[in-house]
Amino acid sequence: MSSEQTLSADVVIVGSGVAGASIANELARAGISVIVLEAGPRVDRQHFVENFRTLENKPSYQGPFPSVPWAVHPPNQMTPNAYLHTTGPDAEAYQQVYLRMMGGTTWHWAGCAWRYLPSDFELKTRYGQGRDWALKYDDLEPFYYQAEVMMGVCGPDPAKEDLGSPRKQPYPMEALPISYAAQQFRKLIDEKTPWRVVHEPQARNTRPYDARPTCEGHNNCMPICPIGAMYNGSYSVYHAEAAGAKFIPNAVVYKIERDSANKRVTGVQYYDPDKQSHRVTGKYFVIAAHCIETAKLLLVSADEQSPEGVANSSGHVGRNMMDHTGVQVTFISGDKALWPGRGPLLTNVIDSFRDGDWRNERGAYLVHMVDDNQVDLATQLAISKGYVGRELEEQIRYLASHTVRLFSHNEALPDPENRLTLSKTQKDVLGIPHPEVYYKLPEYTVKSCDHTRSVFRELIGLMHGTDEQWTPGYFPQDHPSGSTIMGTDPKTSVVDGHCRTHDHENLFIASSSVFSTVGTGNITLTVAALALRVADTLKKELLHA
Amino acid sequence: MKKEWPKENPCVPANLHTVSPNAMRLARLLRMSRRDMLLTGMGAAVTGAAASLSGATAAETHATSAPDAGSILHSGPEAAQFMAVSRKLTDRPALDLRIGNALHAGLVQGNPARQGQISTLHGLMEKGQFASAAEFAAAAEKADPALKDVIHDILTGWYRGVADGKVVVYRSALMFDITKDAVYPKTYAEGGPFYWTSQPPEVARPTGHPALSPSKFVVEPT
Repeated sequence: MSSEQTLSADVVIVGSGVAGASIANELARAGISVIVLEAGPRVDRQHFVENFRTLENKPSYQGPFPSVPWAVHPPNQMTPNAYLHTTGPDAEAYQQVYLRMMGGTTWHWAGCAWRYLPSDFELKTRYGQGRDWALKYDDLEPFYYQAEVMMGVCGPDPAKEDLGSPRKQPYPMEALPISYAAQQFRKLIDEKTPWRVVHEPQARNTRPYDARPTCEGHNNCMPICPIGAMYNGSYSVYHAEAAGAKFIPNAVVYKIERDSANKRVTGVQYYDPDKQSHRVTGKYFVIAAHCIETAKLLLVSADEQSPEGVANSSGHVGRNMMDHTGVQVTFISGDKALWPGRGPLLTNVIDSFRDGDWRNERGAYLVHMVDDNQVDLATQLAISKGYVGRELEEQIRYLASHTVRLFSHNEALPDPENRLTLSKTQKDVLGIPHPEVYYKLPEYTVKSCDHTRSVFRELIGLMHGTDEQWTPGYFPQDHPSGSTIMGTDPKTSVVDGHCRTHDHENLFIASSSVFSTVGTGNITLTVAALALRVADTLKKELLHA
Repeated sequence: MKKEWPKENPCVPANLHTVSPNAMRLARLLRMSRRDMLLTGMGAAVTGAAASLSGATAAETHATSAPDAGSILHSGPEAAQFMAVSRKLTDRPALDLRIGNALHAGLVQGNPARQGQISTLHGLMEKGQFASAAEFAAAAEKADPALKDVIHDILTGWYRGVADGKVVVYRSALMFDITKDAVYPKTYAEGGPFYWTSQPPEVARPTGHPALSPSKFVVEPT
């Protein structure tokens, strides 16, 4: 059944996360009409904060964000999972979580806002591994800066701490002062190792910015910053709406229509929660629905014209799935009290393994010492050890002040065999198949993780650590990418260097799904920069047509 | 009109009323209320749920409605026993009665056998002369190994603020009281900008020993 009224706009965007909302904002400010279709509901920050406070399992990042039946997202990182079905030898390493909500998954990111290194865009040329992107660092540099201004990124002065990604402008805000625990960690690394600890660039306010307050160190960036000192996609939604963009929540796009030549997209169809179908037409279309949902939508749009799915003449939609699959260990430091959990979650990083000649055989990585409040974990641990009364309280204080958690983001490679397909057995209430991902960790990543483990063991030794608890296997980092891979050859890639699909001239993709390689450092700033570049292209074409 | 979703689908709640975060909270409270009513035979808890409908925050509602229900259920000797056993197990001369009542109600709701075990612990405590929580807990486990679990539940209640897998209190959990010179409960920091750069207090390595045998520790999924 279809509604009588057809919606229409110059640009129709699917997905309201950082990518979709920032494009909507840019276009609406230029006077271009925009409709954004978001599958999930619109919920305000305070509900998420309350959900968090009443949540028993506080480390559950998805916990405060229950899904709705018409836009299910993975409930947790468990395998098997009620929504994202993973298979293959490393199924558990690809159990990603994300949110289908107005504002997107940055509701529970930690604000880490890395630029990729120039070498990350040329992995094939420089190291003979993976692929090259169809753009260079310099092409993206202005948009990296635009994204940093949009989000409000704080970071170090390049003259004092060069993070390896050349900048034409300083960071919009001064770097966030690192915590006492991180200061001690940095001192140890400086004195005892050849590595270094740097300030992590973050989309977090070190002064009032964009009508949002300075960070007060609630230590809850993930799953929810209680005061909005950290940027998330909802702020781009608010700005875009103020500029005139129309956002429609609970609109589950299930079909991308094309013209008879199959060259241009003519409209999209979405279901509302009652499974009423609605049609939205436009001149340009942007799919900005997260790596997994974007590939899923292209595949479910398969029809007689495109039996393998929309934009999929290459057969690469859903392939080349990547992540920053990492390693994680928790231990008790034998040195002085650190009291992690004072300030934001992630403020410092070892960046000594981001680049080097060894990338011709193993992946790069970043190491985080997480500044996570450990009181609850310490309490559970001390009770389980059998302590009671006064001794229990001493243990809680000791464990909470001495627990150290390290984790890494390790680089994957694009492998066409690591593939997202539509589940043949599982469907949601609207009849749309669930996503299924086959995953085998690339040897390149395995070697990188092995290297990380040896570094972690060295760090544990330097900190006189005991009670090591290694997270079994590999740790998914929720940075899925690659499912609509970028390239210059339409036979082996889905989008070109401007994120335009090779197959359909007015269809763009704004997502980590276009990444040709995954580098190191959280992916969001690169997603935002690519999205802003898409907005720039659309503005040029629409305003100067 | 909303359609009814197919019930056979494994990944979704069966009823639409559970789907928004607000509705989920309400549903949780209503479930709790139904149990309260069964236990008490009275409708007092419905008042608590109605209060949440009228806009009280979930955390406050948990903290205030449960003690109300608890005070009806536990104004008698069981409540006093729970508090006395709790004081002994925490080595503390005084504990908050309202929180205690809420924890007690939650514990017994989650596992009705707990009431008898709390009484057993109380009887043991009355008979012996235990100088400390550690002595008492060790004696209890020796008398009946099953008592270890109820001791864990009581300590989890007071220190984590959790009973029957639910948050009864968050900020007021004792784990935050004993660490408040160094850290804040997540979402409640009040140290001012960049407080985290200052040096927190040193903590001496503890010398005490566990009183109970160790239990398996399972980290919940993220």
